[in-house]
Amino acid sequence: MSAIFDAIIIGAGHNGLVAAAMLARKGRRVLVLESRNHVGGMLGDAQFRVASMPSPLNPKVAKALGIKLKSHPMQTIVAAGDGSLTHIRGAMVSGADAADAAAYARLHESLIAKARALSPMLTMTPPGLDRTGWRQWLTLCHTGMNLRRLGKSQLRELMRIALSNVHDLVLDEMPDGPLAGAMAMDATLGGAMGPRSPGTVLSLLYRMTHANAATGPDQAIRHMPDGGPQAMIDALCAVVTQSGGDIRTSAAVAKILVEDDQACGVALASGEEIRAHQVLSNAAPATTLIKLLGPGHLDAEFVRRCRNIASRGMVARLDFDLAATPELSDGSAMNQLQRLISTDGSTAIEQAFDTAKHGRLPDRPTLESCFDPGNQRLSVTAQFVPAMPDGGWSTGLRNQLGKTVLATLEPALPGLGKLVQACRIMTPGDIETGYHVPGGHWHHGEFRIDQALMLRPFDGAGQYRMPVRGLYLCGAGSHPGGDISGTPGFNAANAALSDGGK
Amino acid sequence: MKHPLKPHPAVINGLEPGPFHQRIAAANHQQSWVNWMGFASASVLDNVEFEYFAIRNQATLFDISPMCKYEIVGPDAERVIDRLVTRNVTKLKPGRVAYAIWCDEDGNIIDDGTVFRLATNRFRLCSQEPQLTWLDDIAYGFDVRITDVSRQIAALSLQGPTSFAVLQALGIKGVEVLKPFDVEEFSFKGIKAEISRTGFTGDLGYEIWTSPKSAFKLWDALVDAGRESGIRPIGYEAVEMARIEAGFLLPGKEFISARKVLRTDRVRNPFELGLGWLVDFDKPHFNGKRALQALATKPLRRKLVAIEIEHDKPANGALIYHRKKHEIGMVTSALWSPTCKRNIAFAWLDAPHGDPVTMARPGKSDLWVEIYLQRELVWQRQMARCEIVEKPFFTHPRRTQTPPARF
Repeated sequence: MSAIFDAIIIGAGHNGLVAAAMLARKGRRVLVLESRNHVGGMLGDAQFRVASMPSPLNPKVAKALGIKLKSHPMQTIVAAGDGSLTHIRGAMVSGADAADAAAYARLHESLIAKARALSPMLTMTPPGLDRTGWRQWLTLCHTGMNLRRLGKSQLRELMRIALSNVHDLVLDEMPDGPLAGAMAMDATLGGAMGPRSPGTVLSLLYRMTHANAATGPDQAIRHMPDGGPQAMIDALCAVVTQSGGDIRTSAAVAKILVEDDQACGVALASGEEIRAHQVLSNAAPATTLIKLLGPGHLDAEFVRRCRNIASRGMVARLDFDLAATPELSDGSAMNQLQRLISTDGSTAIEQAFDTAKHGRLPDRPTLESCFDPGNQRLSVTAQFVPAMPDGGWSTGLRNQLGKTVLATLEPALPGLGKLVQACRIMTPGDIETGYHVPGGHWHHGEFRIDQALMLRPFDGAGQYRMPVRGLYLCGAGSHPGGDISGTPGFNAANAALSDGGK
Repeated sequence: MKHPLKPHPAVINGLEPGPFHQRIAAANHQQSWVNWMGFASASVLDNVEFEYFAIRNQATLFDISPMCKYEIVGPDAERVIDRLVTRNVTKLKPGRVAYAIWCDEDGNIIDDGTVFRLATNRFRLCSQEPQLTWLDDIAYGFDVRITDVSRQIAALSLQGPTSFAVLQALGIKGVEVLKPFDVEEFSFKGIKAEISRTGFTGDLGYEIWTSPKSAFKLWDALVDAGRESGIRPIGYEAVEMARIEAGFLLPGKEFISARKVLRTDRVRNPFELGLGWLVDFDKPHFNGKRALQALATKPLRRKLVAIEIEHDKPANGALIYHRKKHEIGMVTSALWSPTCKRNIAFAWLDAPHGDPVTMARPGKSDLWVEIYLQRELVWQRQMARCEIVEKPFFTHPRRTQTPPARF
């Protein structure tokens, strides 16, 4: 069989599409293979999206792909247990004590500045412990200069807080409450760490890099494109296909083919074999390396580290089909540019984490909700839920989760319960089986200091290139990490491009 | 005066008695034991010279039960072993044994040992150091069962020119056709045992593997059958002498396992150890292959060589100097070889001194060993000239002659 494609991309998640688009725009003949019946991965299932609120594509990625997608920052509304609401736009807070609002603004500005200084590192191949190219040194120098420019006290402050926990960081500045909770939520969302876990400041800084392209009240980690999440996927697909790339859905890859220690294509579950010079996998690292490639091509230590990636999802997703637009407790109708966070504060989030960590469902999980008026759908992200609850995810427990979530939302959205017509629930286990992510983790691996930079997803696999030549990881398991940014796909495509492979 | 305390045969210095312990303890006039994997192993039974010369002239019994032994069974057994070691195991036929090394992902040696292919899908691995967790890592994703059989197998090394005569006297039929590195199962005197023509002495010899229940029976049968052939139980020290003469390396002496080193520059790769011949790049991926391929293209930083030293003083732990001035290496194992009548040693030499091309240049082979001697409480330093020689120091045609002669 002759080689037809320059590159095959496994998985049409947004990072896979970004990688495919990058390669296709450089004249590579690419094929994207997706096992599900839709493109877009966790962002793309129109019936039930894992990611209902995307963050904006990294500006560098959007620019490289020529994507001009109009999107709008989402306003954050924090609802406490008593139904009182606090509004946050960027650093600006309304509905809270003036002193607390000022403290929030100060902390927010300071964190945004630090995130901005660090952001050049997002779009670089992380430096290797034994292999660092001049381009990487250049980016590191750039980042270093950025940090210097922060000034001595800010730099010292960054060193002080970088590895600490968000709970202490925030409570040093303000009393615990909805504002502190909102920040703790952003630091812990999607992971298996509570606000008191060390390293949560780092994940907060990472998430704040999504916002740093904007200024003032537009600074938001969540942006809703015109046309919803689907518009982002459509835009990415358009770049791929207009550049001559192919995308096939319902085409599950069963095996990565290797010849002479070089990836040379894939075999589909249907038995079909497709050849390519390079294979980029957007699947989770363990799925790619252990299931699709096979440990026989890898050293035992490498496989061991891959097996031991911390990747335990503790987030459930619930979609409620509503009879009408829900109203907030202040009487206003909820719109699609609002992000409703239900929490009493950082301590409450830590308690929810503790409960879930021990295998039980918390009474009051922390919720992040948004409303899609087109489909009359309220999408809720609930954390923390146990990945492996005592007794498993029974129907009874799922129903209980639905009830708990509605009860938690009720003070902020009075009368919500009566509007609910249908409810869908996705547990970490559902994410694991539905998206082939061991542990059901959103980001294919916990974002922690020991799984960041050149250690993401694990030592020895941190530079997109795998030991088998021509095989690359291009998903959220790789640097810089999860959320919707496109940066892992962008960086992996650049690695593949610089390796030739044509 | 009668001594009130007799060494208890079961517990010696906190060490565990092996399957042959009572027999060895009875023969051990020195009661001198060393720790071998937690077992009490005799270092000398009565006199190391007698024991050494028994290896070279008679037949000897040495308990090798403390060795780590693993059984790898299942449909993927061949693939797992082939993935573990640097040698091509697919070429190893059932009933054959191979000396092999295995490496970590950086191409540094973890351990060496012998691979027994007992059947198509059944292997046994004997190693110096515990490897169970390593084997588990290697076998991840493969359909095999790995069992630590270290305590389920009692093993004796029967070595020496008359070792075949001993087995013949036992009436074991078919043992004469065993070629070096063959292994086969035999039944004799009510004992079921596997006999392999393997050993650590560079001479004719066998290793006998049986169940611990048959241990005493095997011992007694061998001692009884070997009476005319001068059979003699021996300790570790004599074996070590024969080991050096035969040119075999020992983990913990010539190199440290890459899994045990604390200092990162103490790891050693097969090429440095002169074991490049055991690395087969033509077979599919094995652990460390990519790193070894990269190492194979780079100049060596050091080399393990066999050296011969002038005079007769063993050079244990000695440093080696070029032109008596620059320190360039050290001795790992050393011995005045009673059979070769040569003062021999293994030594590490920093590059380029171990390289044959360099050594051929005039003046380059001007190597000196610094030997410290204590003569009646006074330390003296002796500089002795040394030169690189071929391994092994000792081998004998009867090692490979099949069928072996009775002597």
